[in-house]
Amino acid sequence: MSSMQRAKQWATFARIWHIYDAKWQNPFDSSKTIAKYLKGQHKPIYHPLSDCGDHVVVINCRDIALPGPEWYQRVFFHHTGYPKGGATWTLAWELHEKNPTKIMERAVHRAVGGTLLRKGLMARLHLFPDEHVSEDLLRHVTSQIPQLRVQPRRLDSYSEEEVRDFPKVFDYPADHVIR
Amino acid sequence: MAQHKTLCTARPALVKQIVCAEEGNVTVIQGRVMPSPRENRVVQTGGSTCACPLCQLHLDIKHTDVLILSQFLRSDGCLLPRRVSGVCRLQQRRVQQLVAMAQKAGLMPNLAPSSSKRDPRRRFGYKKFNKYYDESTIRDVQPFSSAMSAR
Repeated sequence: MSSMQRAKQWATFARIWHIYDAKWQNPFDSSKTIAKYLKGQHKPIYHPLSDCGDHVVVINCRDIALPGPEWYQRVFFHHTGYPKGGATWTLAWELHEKNPTKIMERAVHRAVGGTLLRKGLMARLHLFPDEHVSEDLLRHVTSQIPQLRVQPRRLDSYSEEEVRDFPKVFDYPADHVIR
Repeated sequence: MAQHKTLCTARPALVKQIVCAEEGNVTVIQGRVMPSPRENRVVQTGGSTCACPLCQLHLDIKHTDVLILSQFLRSDGCLLPRRVSGVCRLQQRRVQQLVAMAQKAGLMPNLAPSSSKRDPRRRFGYKKFNKYYDESTIRDVQPFSSAMSAR
């Protein structure tokens, strides 16, 4: 095999580490994309039994966004296995307060499917509540998965000049009192 | 205290700002007359049959367009009435719902009453977490890209 062919072989079959920023993203929509990369379905050489999946590092899990009332409408079920009161239904915001990576973990756990490969795929998922990732994991990362939703900007992140110079839709009427 | 009313025929196109200052025992309430801060910044849309500025502009405003939505608010986060902004009834309802979405998402923390928690992270329970909204759930007025053009 020539060195060029060897380089192509490595480039095709190497296990790649991707990074995904979950800030202001819906965890359930992002989990579909992340599951695709974990299984290796983004590669032309994909086969479910080929072990061609990649690693995904998800950062800023604390800053995920859910639509509207979902924070107090979505419920996560857990049963301890013991009878009499072993079942608990936890609201999404309560679970997020206790463990900020749990919602993302549950979302990817569902998106990946109920096969026997799930444990191995979840082992290749690395979740972090903020941007602090250890150097041991970051040195492998070579690719970034693009975000699905646009991050909104807060009004106080704009400078006063930008707010003042932005084109205005209407002007105040005469003798209007500015409060 | 006698109320003096001055009569004048010409009304200057100026806005007023009420400033309250306390110097020792004396409270000074001053009504400052000044030119509008938006004087040279208003978008000119010529040749339109509709009087409403938002209908003339024909924009699909999202709840994240904070620079546009903040123009319709007072400094304490209240909406300006229709007689001030000049928009039509349906657009006012749409702006009302978009502003409510933006405020709940915590995107305009500086336009809020002094007693409210400005930083979303200081709020209680689910209110401290990020939320986003779907503008297609506003049923009164559809965005201009789809339905209005069909009219």
